[in-house]
Formats: sequence, structure tokens, C-alpha cells
Amino acid sequence: MDTFYYILGGILLLALVIAAFRFFQGPTAPDRIVALDAMSIILTAGLAMLALVFHRFIYIDVALIYAILGFMGIVSIARWMEKGI
Amino acid sequence: MILLQWTLTPELLYQAGTGILLFLLVVAAIFSVVQKDLLMAIVGTSLVSLILSVLFLLLHAPDVALTEAAIGVALTTAIFLIALRKTGRYEE
Repeated sequence: MDTFYYILGGILLLALVIAAFRFFQGPTAPDRIVALDAMSIILTAGLAMLALVFHRFIYIDVALIYAILGFMGIVSIARWMEKGI
Repeated sequence: MILLQWTLTPELLYQAGTGILLFLLVVAAIFSVVQKDLLMAIVGTSLVSLILSVLFLLLHAPDVALTEAAIGVALTTAIFLIALRKTGRYEE
């Protein structure tokens, strides 16, 4: 079962690095915002995996708050771009 | 001989993941400082806060990670965006 977590962590880190490449490379603003959204989702999955690895259920709450507030941050940036705020 | 001892231990994977996150943190902070487009600087600040929250959880501090996620990701981004609406987007 530990091997499963190692493979999962490696895949999540690889996905994070690929999304970070698009974040630092992307020429326009929507590229970077979508890359930030993808990194937020990948890191939320990583937090849920860490809760399983460390056997602490309090860590699930961190992933929950993180998902909701990350979504709110992305939505506020998107509202800024269409001149809502 | 040395290379044969370099197997995939849990400590090595843990340190590799922490190292990748720290590297992304530093690169995002430098990106946020040198950027002329201030909207992209705000997005870079949000990314710094996002990665820092995961690092706090890796250091076994879930309450600090919770506060960092609440304040850094949502509140700071929203306040900076409201301030950016009242000023200009590009830095002269």
C-alpha cells in the first residue's frame, strides 16, 4: 500500500511541474490563470493524499478549506478580467 | 557503489517533493517581483501563498496552513484586485 502512495505522489509532482511550466511560460493572462487553477486542484489532491499518508483526519479539513477558497480566488480574478469588481 | 545505495526510500521521496515545492516557491516569488503586469504579479502572489500552505502542512502545522489558505489565497487576492481596479494595470 505504501508503493501506491509513492507512485501517486510522483504523478502529482510531475503534473504540478508541467502546470508550473505553463504558468511561468504562458504569454497571455488567461494561460497563467488557468494554470493557477490547475495547480490549485493538483495541490488539493496532494493535501488529501497527505491526510491518508499521515493518518490524521484533521488534514482533510485543510484540503476542504483550500478547495473552496482557491475557487473563490480564481473566480475573483475572472470577475476582475470582465470588469466586474 | 554509491549509486547502488541510492534507492527510493520514503525519506528521499519526501525530501524530493519538499525540494520541488520550495523551488517553485522561490521561482514564483521572483516572478511576482519582476513582473511589469500587476495582475500577473497578484496571480504570482496567490501561487506563493498556495504553495506555502502545502509546505506548512508538510511541517505538521495544519492550523497555520488553514489560516494561510483562508487569508492568503482568497482575502489578499480580492483586496489587491480591488486596489488594482482603482489604479492602473501596467507599471510604468
